[in-house]
Amino acid sequence: MKLLIVEDEKALRESMIQYLEYQGYLCETADNFPAAMEKIRQFNYDCILVDIGLPNGSGLDIVKALKDMESKAGIIIISAKNSLEDKLTGLESGSDDYLTKPFHLSELNARINAVLRRRTFGGEKVISFNEIKLNTDAQIITVNDKAVALTEKEYRLLEYFIVNQRRVLTKPAIASHVWGDEYEYVDNHDFIYTHIRNLRKKLLDAGSGDYIKTVHGSGYRFTDN
Amino acid sequence: MRLLTKTTLYFLSAMTILLMVAGYIIFRRFSTELDNRSDKELLQEEAAWIAYLQSEVAGGITFSLRTPEISIYPVDAPPNDYASITDVKGGPNGLSYRQLSQVVSIYDISYQFNIRKSQAQKAALVASTTKILLLIFVGLLIATLLFNWLISRNLWNPFYRALQTIRETNLQSMQGTHFEETDTKEFNELNAALNAMTKKIHSDFVNMKEFTENAAHEMQTPLSVMQSKLELLLQNENLPEEDVQLILDASTALQRLSKLNQGLLLLAKIENDQYKATESLGLKAVTEKYLGLFSELVQDKHLKINTHFENDFLVRLHPLLADSLVSNLLENAIRYNYEGGSIDIRITGKSYAISNTSLQSPIPGEKLFKRFAASGREASSNGLGLAIVKKIVDMHGLAIRYAAQQGVTSFEITRL
Repeated sequence: MKLLIVEDEKALRESMIQYLEYQGYLCETADNFPAAMEKIRQFNYDCILVDIGLPNGSGLDIVKALKDMESKAGIIIISAKNSLEDKLTGLESGSDDYLTKPFHLSELNARINAVLRRRTFGGEKVISFNEIKLNTDAQIITVNDKAVALTEKEYRLLEYFIVNQRRVLTKPAIASHVWGDEYEYVDNHDFIYTHIRNLRKKLLDAGSGDYIKTVHGSGYRFTDN
Repeated sequence: MRLLTKTTLYFLSAMTILLMVAGYIIFRRFSTELDNRSDKELLQEEAAWIAYLQSEVAGGITFSLRTPEISIYPVDAPPNDYASITDVKGGPNGLSYRQLSQVVSIYDISYQFNIRKSQAQKAALVASTTKILLLIFVGLLIATLLFNWLISRNLWNPFYRALQTIRETNLQSMQGTHFEETDTKEFNELNAALNAMTKKIHSDFVNMKEFTENAAHEMQTPLSVMQSKLELLLQNENLPEEDVQLILDASTALQRLSKLNQGLLLLAKIENDQYKATESLGLKAVTEKYLGLFSELVQDKHLKINTHFENDFLVRLHPLLADSLVSNLLENAIRYNYEGGSIDIRITGKSYAISNTSLQSPIPGEKLFKRFAASGREASSNGLGLAIVKKIVDMHGLAIRYAAQQGVTSFEITRL
């Protein structure tokens, strides 16, 4: 999968590349408006991440250009603006998602994954980890081809874990992804533990390996080693 | 005291003194004039009597006359060259007389001449002078009051208009505030100064708002950089446990900073009136939404939620602000609650009230809604929640009341 990251802040760009390349994406970058326009004209990408505030132009114009070209690429706008209007403008311009700074890299990865899944026509929308399979259309989970019943939160947890497999996920990142933005800043995230314990138990009962690892009580990692 | 009342009083006191001085001077002038006239008459009368005595009374015969007005009688004294004229007391009604006395020698006989004249005229003069002055005073008083009334209605009109404009103006709508040109120089100067001042205040206010908004925006990118770097750092599997804890602490602080930033941005935007309400919405649905969203926290703290929903409380509020209002109040009610406590939410057509059990000591009312006033009470609080609530309430014709007693904290929102 090939991504184009349009972001003028070098340090942030590098963080994104580092995280996303580890997840198996091929990343190309552009740090200003003309460079980004040049790249989208010459190459095809599966997903394009666009910062709105760019030197020499607005990210929104890149989104419009992509729409004019009838590009098949998924588009995620990354913006420092958090207001409803900005989000609506972004989504109306034709982007698939809108992410507000500051964001968790794991959240960005999950959003890219979701956009790509939606964009893949005909292909099976299944994400998997060893014996665990998630059919994201039907929201059906199977372990060794046997269905497992999960609650909505447990399903979202598992999906987030598998998409960000082998990475450490902090509790605030998990909380805001599964329960909503309001949960990112709450006093304590202990309630996550209950849900993770239930999820782990259900997966183990269904015969899967024990993949959910606690990281020093600070977060979780979904891994098989 | 009104300025006009003051000037009127000063004017009238000055008038009283002036009139009294004028009255005294007028009286003195007339009095001297009257004295001169009666003196002349007295001398003429004496001359007439002397002529009479010289022609009618033959030598050797003495003449004597005594009436209340005139007494002429022989006296054993040397004659005076000049007649002395003095005021003598003892007349009727306590009036004094003007009296001429002279010893005159006629055919070698010395006669004492005493001729007196009543000064009733003078008393009449005092009376009429006083009467005239009083009349003038009353006339002036009435004229002054009348003029002042007219002046206050017309002359001071621009002043009262300016005052009204100042009263009606506020920071948000100051741009449209203009003090108009009048035909009075002083008011023009005042209005020009006021115009310059409002312009300065408004531009300072706009600058400050823009600064807050820009600063908050510009901060998001470095915050993103820091957050992403910490997240990458955390991926290192060989990190010692204590280092992980350090990274997490930094990450938590970063999240607080980011939330603080968003809060400030929201406040700036509310102040900018960027969230215009297009229609009324009920807070019942919003509350139910957030009770659902926060259910995890409620369960975690084993809180009991009691809801008394009667008629919906309708407000003209942008949906985002309604969310912010309810979520901040509810978050507070959860945050400052204790394990197993309770939250009461009462919605009627007239008010929206939320109260919670709390071990927190009450906060003085005026401090409560100030930015950062309550921060430090709880690590996860950024001190902006209630400031945002207050700002939303103030900007939308609502009022909020806070009460804390017997371990229960409550907030009630009503319409103004």
